[in-house]
Amino acid sequence: MKNPTIDVLSPAGYRRRATIFLVIALLVAGASAFMGFDPTMLFTEFHYVTDLFNSMSPPNLNMIWHDETIGMAVLETVSMAFLGTLIGGGFAMVLAFLAAENTMPSLPVRLLVRLFLSIDRVIPPLFIILVFVSAVGLGPFAGMLSLVLSTMGTFGQLFREIIENTDPAPADAIYSVGATRAQVIRYVILPQVAPSFTANLFYAFDLNIRVAISLGIFGGGGIGFQIFQAMRLLHYHDALALILLTVVLIVGSEKLSDLLRSRLLNRGSLK
Amino acid sequence: MIEVSNITKSLPDGRKLLDGISFTVRKGEFVGILGASGAGKTLTLRCLNGLLKPDSGSVVVEDQQGSKWDLCTIGKTRLRDLRRRIGIIFQGYHLVQRLTALDNVLLGRLGQISTIRSLFYGFTDKEREEALTALEKVKIGNLANPRVNRLSGGEMQRVAIARAIFQSPGVLLADEPLSNLDPSNAKIIMRMIQPLAQEMPVIGIFHQPEMTAKYCTRVIAIKKGRIIYDGDPRLTTHQLVEIYGEELRQIENAPVLTADATGEINYVNPEDHERNFY
Amino acid sequence: MNEISIKPVRLSLLRRYGRVLLPLAGLSILAQGAAWVCGARWDLFFHGIADSMRFLVHILIPEWDAFTDMLQPALTSVFIALVGTVIGTVFSLVFALLAASNIAPAWLRQATRFLLGLERALPEIIILLFLVAAFGLGPFAGVLALAIGSIGMLGKLIADAIEELDPVSIDAIAAIGASRVQVILFGVIQPIIPSIVSFALFRFEYGIRLSVYLGAVGAGGIGLELYRSFTMLDYGRAATALIVTLILVFLSEWVSNFLRKKIKGGRFQ
Repeated sequence: MKNPTIDVLSPAGYRRRATIFLVIALLVAGASAFMGFDPTMLFTEFHYVTDLFNSMSPPNLNMIWHDETIGMAVLETVSMAFLGTLIGGGFAMVLAFLAAENTMPSLPVRLLVRLFLSIDRVIPPLFIILVFVSAVGLGPFAGMLSLVLSTMGTFGQLFREIIENTDPAPADAIYSVGATRAQVIRYVILPQVAPSFTANLFYAFDLNIRVAISLGIFGGGGIGFQIFQAMRLLHYHDALALILLTVVLIVGSEKLSDLLRSRLLNRGSLK
Repeated sequence: MIEVSNITKSLPDGRKLLDGISFTVRKGEFVGILGASGAGKTLTLRCLNGLLKPDSGSVVVEDQQGSKWDLCTIGKTRLRDLRRRIGIIFQGYHLVQRLTALDNVLLGRLGQISTIRSLFYGFTDKEREEALTALEKVKIGNLANPRVNRLSGGEMQRVAIARAIFQSPGVLLADEPLSNLDPSNAKIIMRMIQPLAQEMPVIGIFHQPEMTAKYCTRVIAIKKGRIIYDGDPRLTTHQLVEIYGEELRQIENAPVLTADATGEINYVNPEDHERNFY
Repeated sequence: MNEISIKPVRLSLLRRYGRVLLPLAGLSILAQGAAWVCGARWDLFFHGIADSMRFLVHILIPEWDAFTDMLQPALTSVFIALVGTVIGTVFSLVFALLAASNIAPAWLRQATRFLLGLERALPEIIILLFLVAAFGLGPFAGVLALAIGSIGMLGKLIADAIEELDPVSIDAIAAIGASRVQVILFGVIQPIIPSIVSFALFRFEYGIRLSVYLGAVGAGGIGLELYRSFTMLDYGRAATALIVTLILVFLSEWVSNFLRKKIKGGRFQ
């Protein structure tokens, strides 16, 4: 890279950067005006934030111990994430094998599956949860189904790339001894992708806990729903307690899945 | 027995990659194929394996019952059946890194096991024991359990050979099996491949004429897609230059051979080598 | 390499299948429990799918007249993402400087990184709920939620990029006698601008989807339209909103790719 300092201090460089900044600033200003977003409000109305904080503290931590619906809500959120990851991840793996060049020889099948995965990725999760809620009713079931779909879409694509990136050499060798495609998939490709798949499933679980919380607001149940209710009913102390609980839950599950993942992959118990 | 007749393969623009390659190899023969890079050695080998279909010509192999089949004209299922009869080891070993040595050897018989059984049951105890025997034949029975990504290059190539032995093929091919190995390991591997020729024809591509001179029964040299030599593995320097081109004369480290090439070109003290291994 | 393991060659049935069956059994028990907690039932599922098929077909016929109504909310959503990402990037930059080991003292770095990690554990939607409770519904809360929500991730990414800087570039500026501020501006921020832009674009793409989502909760924009029409059973209108959303997502990805290519071409220095 050319000595950047010279570029920076040159008049041409300065002018170009200045124009870019100007363009961005104008865009932001225009957008703000359009929306009615007044950044100064942040300072003039900041007292609302402090007021809210005051009404929220101290957090009603008692409620967490004593109210059993909270415990159930936590369980719901975790279960949603767990099942969504398990089932969605399972589908993602199957679809990935159907969409990868080295495991699915038939082009039309591959294209069809990839089309399906693309559509799945592009549909807004808001829409999906609304559809499921009207299909199976409010509650964590709808949330879980949403998670299955979103996990399937995101990780189907990722898993497909992982499969296509495996080393073709051993597959070549085993085809040479007269093995069928199914045998090569089971004995050559699967051992190569298994560690990646597992690590990604843990990552998916972490992701899905957060999504599960968001979905709670649209009728998905779980802690998300509890927080939403608490805020709506102006039970601010409860809300803060629940928010803290959420943070603990997310951080805790991340640490736990990190631990499980490293133990699993280091013991090498994956074939 | 494997019989190659008049193999030709051309590029779309007409240039010939293989031009009338013909030879026959029988049990008891250990054939070394020599040639400069790009001469057509690997292409020929891939035709012998059924991986590549030549434009014309035939590659005839025998199946277990003794019937002869032309790899170039048979259908996919029959080809797959016949590939069980062809063993092949590679320069890069081509092992599944995350599996153990024993498991890698077992994969050699996948072509002979029904798909259902291999998917749901795996290998029988008897097969596992035979695989262990194969590993012991190449003197790494004690390394059956670690994953192969922890083995050295020479050990990995031995696992590959064990896999080929376990497969019990009717002909063994080798695609530059020594090229990734240091000279002492290369010798070990050559010493393991050589006795296999007593049970089946062995054909290998090598870049080490001193090795083929010492261990092979016959050498075939390919230049620009044609066979230019087929016979005694002990080549004179003049013949080597013919095969590899003028550049060979200029390379100072080029192996120097005389008419009776029993002299060893070694980078290792011979006695040490002998003592450590056999 | 003489490893003499004790693993047997002969496999008992347990060894043969244990590796697969035991975890499978464990997972299915957990799954059953989870399913019970979620109230998942097969009959509910199939019944529900049948029902939704009925109105999903209906939904494939968007209400074309409603398109013009969607323009303003769509723009709002885009602008929320835009302004939110820009402001968020600026905030993140400040935090990143405090979280980089080659700029900030160790105690400050640790504390900031801890805060950033905490922020990452806060779902944006909760931030939005808070802001809505403080400031009321509307784009203001949306923009701020997006901005604050990005600090955790962008802050970490930018801080990492700063730490990976070759100290030569910083020292070079300091050597010509620049003030502390100038060193930071030209020696630290200047070289990582391409990275910052790349991260910001990534966040922007995410921000569009987020802004749609948060819109339904109170930030306004097309998300709100989608939500409202759906819950009011106006499925034709909901379909229109859906289509507009899809267009938005595609456009944002396209723009993002376009800008990325321009940056790769080195026009940004």
